Amino acid sequence: MANNFLKISRLDQFLETLRLFGELHAPTVSESGVHRFSPLEDPDELHLDYRRTQIPPKKYLFPFREEILHYGGGGYREGHSSAGDLVIFGVHSCDLEGIAYLDRVFLADRPDPGYAARRSRLTLVGIACEPDDFCFCTAATESASCDLFLSAGQDGYHITSYSARGSALLSAADHLLEERAAQPSPAISGPCYPAQDPELRFSDHPLWQKFASTCVSCGACSVCCPTCYCFDVREYPTLSGGGTRIREWDNCLFATHGEVAGANFRPDRLDRLRYRFLHKYCGFTPLQGMSSCVGCGRCKEFCPVDIDLRELTVAPEKVEP
Amino acid sequence: MKQPQHSPHVPYAAHLIERRDLSEDTALFRIAPEPGALAELSSFVPGQFVQLSVPDAGEVPISPADLPTPEGTLELCVRRVGHVTDLLHKLQPGAPLGVRGPFGCGFPLPEMAGHPVLLLAGGLGIAPLRSLLMHLLRHRDGYGEITLMYGAKQPKLMLFRQELAALAADGGMRLYLTVDFAPEQLDGSFSCALGLLPDLLKGFRFDAADTYAAVCGPPPLYRCLISDLEAGGVAPDRILLSLERRMRCGVGRCCHCGIGQKLCCLDGPVFRASDLKGIPEAL
Repeated sequence: MANNFLKISRLDQFLETLRLFGELHAPTVSESGVHRFSPLEDPDELHLDYRRTQIPPKKYLFPFREEILHYGGGGYREGHSSAGDLVIFGVHSCDLEGIAYLDRVFLADRPDPGYAARRSRLTLVGIACEPDDFCFCTAATESASCDLFLSAGQDGYHITSYSARGSALLSAADHLLEERAAQPSPAISGPCYPAQDPELRFSDHPLWQKFASTCVSCGACSVCCPTCYCFDVREYPTLSGGGTRIREWDNCLFATHGEVAGANFRPDRLDRLRYRFLHKYCGFTPLQGMSSCVGCGRCKEFCPVDIDLRELTVAPEKVEP
Repeated sequence: MKQPQHSPHVPYAAHLIERRDLSEDTALFRIAPEPGALAELSSFVPGQFVQLSVPDAGEVPISPADLPTPEGTLELCVRRVGHVTDLLHKLQPGAPLGVRGPFGCGFPLPEMAGHPVLLLAGGLGIAPLRSLLMHLLRHRDGYGEITLMYGAKQPKLMLFRQELAALAADGGMRLYLTVDFAPEQLDGSFSCALGLLPDLLKGFRFDAADTYAAVCGPPPLYRCLISDLEAGGVAPDRILLSLERRMRCGVGRCCHCGIGQKLCCLDGPVFRASDLKGIPEAL
């Protein structure tokens, strides 16, 4: 089924159809004015013209805090994942690519049980975006890392399916769709700074010193990053015996991150900044050589001291130390 | 029927068999994992690590001090330095524990076969090297000359000293001990040099071009020893370093143990000096 078109007047009905596949979440605005993905109770709360949510959709697959084990009676047992079916509607290409990267991290080799359970019950409906000054993705047009993707057309959306589940969704919504030839996606007009030989940028570049002198190690850039996934593991006993082992988001900009007994391998802010961005742009084993920056622009928008890492990734001759 | 794969998060149940104090803050723990752990543990290569769980405290990466026995019993040499190891040191035999692993890359034994091996241990660095030493001595004919140089701050902090002396007396290896200083009166059964490990290495004549060196100790020690070994003619890809990082997951996900673009839990903890050149935070 190609050339599927959804008129904007039927969007509410389409959303109702999506609910058949799981709890529906979509971009909304909180009481404090922050864009976020949250359960969509009322279609009027939908904010499809959002630029970026503060916290990326990684929170659904890799929760901030998660019980991974229970122990007691002489042994450890896997924590039970209570994941239900979930549909996230209105995800931008950069965030879809972020999820595709997390899939590589958590589903390869020895798959992470909690992540795998949640991922298998997640339906992703992407939507084309309009970049702003913070965006720096290289391929913003359409991501295939989803089940369905909507791109805007005259009075509605062209819909493409990228999975069997996507096709099932289209079948269920068949009565709402009409056939209309898709238009070629318009070229992205926003700023775009593809990384140029990033490994060169991780030497003793003077910009690192400049960034380190202003960075306050707040860690906002990694909290809001769709591909940051460092975690810490802690254990909490209960008074009645036994207890729980949890994992929760950690932050490589915090001084404790590089600690070992009696030493710290990244004691300085500069070390930690470089560690984060080396990981981001050059990758660690087994994803060495793969940049995980999807260009969503969150780290720049939410940095309280306006550090702009794009300065490091633009062509060397443009850099003014 | 194919068994479902054991989750990488879930430790096998284990219990403490006994502990033996080696110094005032360091002890050797013998641990018996449940039989299900044996298939994984039997693949252990000296230099790899296991994740030891101490219920109510958490998990720590420990490099076993000997090869697992055929029953899977592990010997872990642990210093009391933090939240988890504090509690471990308070446990009585029979106490429940957990173990996952082994993880990471150990010493490249097939490549080292037939060559002389020089082991250089500083302080608690003897622990991971002891499993290598035990392997070498049990396969004595498979390797060239074996030499252990071991330095500690002072005689009472020298771990396994009687045992090492006995192994040397058997003739399987040469043993050189040194202490930074000796405040106590030494009895006649123990003799060692006074000075730092690099001093000991300076006066040592060996076939550097053919030798593999295995080094483990505190970070400053690596820096001096690597340059001394290289100056002495040992190839950088034959200088094997066992590095310490605080691995949380052991399977390459938590990202606490990055060294340059490598992860200590997957690429290490044993690295070649040649692989660490140019990585400022490595040592």
